[in-house]
Amino acid sequence: MTVTIAEGAERVLLSGDEAIARGAFESGVTVATAYPGTPSTEILEALAACPGVRAQWAPNEKVALEVALGASLAGARAMASMKHVGLNVASDPLMTASYTGVRGGLVVVSADDPGMFSSQNEQDNRHYARLAKIPMLEPSDGQEAKDYAVAAFDLSERFDTPVLLRITTRIAHSKSLVELSERADHPPEGFVRDPAKTVMVPAHARRRHELVETRALALRDYAETCSFNRIEKGDRRVGVVVSGVAYQYVKEVRPRASILKLGLTHPLSPELIRRFARSVDRLYVVEELDPYLEEQIRAMGVKLSHPPSTPRTGELSPDAVARFLGVRRRRVRGPVQGLPPRPPALCPGCGHRALLTAVKRLKAFVSGDIGCYTLGVQPPLQTMDTCVCMGASIGVAHGVEKATGRSNNMVAVIGDSTFIHSGITPLIDVVYNQSPTTIIILDNETVAMTGHQEHPGTGRTARGEETHPLSLEEICRAAGVRHVSVVDPYDLKTTQDAIRSGLERDEPTVVIARRRCVILDRERPRRPLRVDAERCIGCGLCLGVGCPAISDVTPAGAKKKRVEIAAELCAGCSLCAQVCPADAITEVADSE
Amino acid sequence: MSRVTNIAVAGVGGQGVILASDIIAQAAAGCAHDVKKNEVHGMAQRGGAVVSEIRFGSLVHSPMVPDGEVDVLLALELLEGLRHVHRLRADGLVVANELRVAPAVRPPGAQAYPRDVLARLRRTGGAVVTVPAAKLARRAGNARAANTVLLGVLSRHLDLPLEAWQQALRACLRPDLVEVNLRAFELGRRRRTAPKK
Repeated sequence: MTVTIAEGAERVLLSGDEAIARGAFESGVTVATAYPGTPSTEILEALAACPGVRAQWAPNEKVALEVALGASLAGARAMASMKHVGLNVASDPLMTASYTGVRGGLVVVSADDPGMFSSQNEQDNRHYARLAKIPMLEPSDGQEAKDYAVAAFDLSERFDTPVLLRITTRIAHSKSLVELSERADHPPEGFVRDPAKTVMVPAHARRRHELVETRALALRDYAETCSFNRIEKGDRRVGVVVSGVAYQYVKEVRPRASILKLGLTHPLSPELIRRFARSVDRLYVVEELDPYLEEQIRAMGVKLSHPPSTPRTGELSPDAVARFLGVRRRRVRGPVQGLPPRPPALCPGCGHRALLTAVKRLKAFVSGDIGCYTLGVQPPLQTMDTCVCMGASIGVAHGVEKATGRSNNMVAVIGDSTFIHSGITPLIDVVYNQSPTTIIILDNETVAMTGHQEHPGTGRTARGEETHPLSLEEICRAAGVRHVSVVDPYDLKTTQDAIRSGLERDEPTVVIARRRCVILDRERPRRPLRVDAERCIGCGLCLGVGCPAISDVTPAGAKKKRVEIAAELCAGCSLCAQVCPADAITEVADSE
Repeated sequence: MSRVTNIAVAGVGGQGVILASDIIAQAAAGCAHDVKKNEVHGMAQRGGAVVSEIRFGSLVHSPMVPDGEVDVLLALELLEGLRHVHRLRADGLVVANELRVAPAVRPPGAQAYPRDVLARLRRTGGAVVTVPAAKLARRAGNARAANTVLLGVLSRHLDLPLEAWQQALRACLRPDLVEVNLRAFELGRRRRTAPKK
C-alpha cells in the first residue's frame, strides 16, 4: 500500500499513522526506522515518501531502536515505530536508552492492538513507560497524533529522555482532518565523546540511574501544568478521567460530563487528578485494556465511584463506554444470526498453501510463526500447531525435539522476513545443540501480511533503492546447516520429498520453499484450471487444499460430489491437479 | 450543532472498501465538514470481511459509529450488507450491490451462503436500493468501476454537492482512471430507483 501525504491543502485527511509521520517530518526528523507491523506500518511508509528523511526498514524492532538511538546520540532527531509486540523485542535497548538519554530527540512509537485485529496478544504497552521511566504521550485523534509527535521531540530533548508515543489501532487507522505546517530543519551536530552518558558500565549506569529518578520527579512536576492534560468543565455530577481514543467515546456518549483529558499518561499528575476529583460528585476512569490509570489513581488515595472497571479484554467502543457510564441508549438490534463467517484465507495460487499441503501429506506437526501462513490453522488445511511470536517456530520445534528425543515428526515453518527478524539465532541454536530439526523457510520475497514491504532479502530498501539482497541459503549454510535445499512449492512432489528427507535425517535440515507472493506475481498470468466432470471421481481431495477458487457444487441429493473451479479466481498454480488421484483437473483450453 | 451523518461501507477484502470509504471521506472533507473515518486493516484483507465507517458533520468525536446510528449502509456485497444491517437507524437506508460472493473458506458446520440474502436484507434493513453495479460500470467502460457506480447512487442520498464528489474522485484515483470513474459515478447518480421496503 502506498501512503502519500498531500501537500498544499490547509487541512488534509490523515490516518493517525500518517499524522505521526507528518509530525516527525515537520520536527526535522533525520532518521526513521521500523519493522513492519499492523497497525504501525504506515508510519514508516509515509516517512519513506518524505524528502530529507532517512527512512528505512530494519530487520527487527530491536535493531530499529538501536539505530534510532545512535542517530539521536549523533544529535539527529530520530524515530523508531513498531507494533506493540515489537516493543518487546526492542525493550532491551529501550530500558538502557532511558539511562543514556538522548542528544537529538528520540521518539519511540508503540501501536497497540486492542481487540487483536492482527496480533497474537493485546498487551497494554503503557506499562513500558513506567518500566522504562520515560514520558508517554497518548493522542486521541489525527491532529493530536501530529501535534504530540512534534511535542515528543521537544520533550525528549528538554528532559534528556526517549519519549514513548503510544497509539492504538483506532488512532493508527482512523482518518481525521489534520493541519499541516512546514518542516523545521534540525541538522545533527555529530557524535560527541561522553562516556559517562553513553557507556553504560555499572559505574556510569549507577550515576545515570540517579539522574533518571531526578528526571522522573521533574517530569511529574511538568505533568501538573503541561498543556497535554486539561480539565473540561461540565456537569459536576459526573467526572471522567480518560486518555487516547476513549476520550472521543466519552465525548460522544456523555458530551456534558466533566472530563480530565490526559495526554501525558506517564508520569501522572497527582495534584491535578486530586483537584479534578474534588470538583465532581462521581469520578470514573475510562480506559482500554489494563487498569493502568485506575490503579495509580486509587493509589493516590482518590476514591472512584465504580467497583467494576472498564473491560480488561477487547476493544472499547462508544457503546461499551455508554454502558459503563450508565448512559441510557436507544434499544438497538443485535446482529442477524446464523450468517456464514467470512474469515480471511490464503489467496488462490499462494505458495504457502502448496507448502502446507505438502507438510500435511507427511502428517507432521507444524511449529508455526507469524505471517500469512498462520492462516493454515483454519480448516480445511489445519496445519499449524503452534504460533507464539516472531521467530518462535524454530526454538519451539527444537524444544519439542529435545524433550521427546529424536521423534522427528515436527517441522518449523517460518516466513522469509520473520526468519531474518528473529529466526537466525534459534537456527544457530539448533546447529550448536545438535538437534535434527527440519526448518522450512517460506520465501515469498516480501513482507506480505503487512502489505508487501521490502526486507533485507528483497534487494530493495524502504525508499525503493537497490541494495544487497541477503541470501537465505548462505546464512543457513554459514550457521552450519549442511542440508539446505531450495524448492518451488508449486512442485508438490519435489517439495514433499525434500521435507521427508529432512524428517528422516538425524541432522538439521533447511528447506527454502521459494515462490513469490501471488499478489505481486499477478502480472505473469497462468492459465486457469478446470475440472473434467467425466474423469472426476468425487473424492473431494482438491477441496482439502482450501483454495477459494475451488467450490463444492454438489446438487442436493446427488450421490457423487461435484466440484467447480472459478476461472476468474484460479491462479493456475496446479496444486489441486497434483493432489487429484484421477487426473481430472486440467488447464482450460484456448477455445474455452 | 448539526447532526452527524454516519455511513458504513461493508464488503469483501480486495473489493475496494477502503478506497470507496476514502472517496466518501474526501468528498465530505471538501465541504468544510469535520470528518472521521475508521477501517480495519491487516488479516481482513485476505478475502475476509472488511468494514469502514465515515462520519461527517460540524463536529465529530468518535471515529466509530455507535450501534444503531448508521444512516446509510453501502454494501459492496449482499452478505456483508446483511452482516452489518442491524447497525442502521430505524429510518436508515441500504444501498446494495447486486453481488453475491461466497466466503473463500467454509469452516465445518458453517452455514451455506443464504439464498434469500436479499429478502432478508429487505426484511431487516427497511429501505433498500439495489444496484447492478458491475453492469452499469461496464456500460461506463470498466467493470472495475462498480464501486464508483454505487457511490453515485449513494450521493443522491447524502447532502454533499456533486462538485465535492467529482473532486474526491480526482483526488483519490489514479489519473488514467478518473474519466471512466466519473462516467460510472454519473450512471449511478442518474439512476432512478426508489428505495423498496
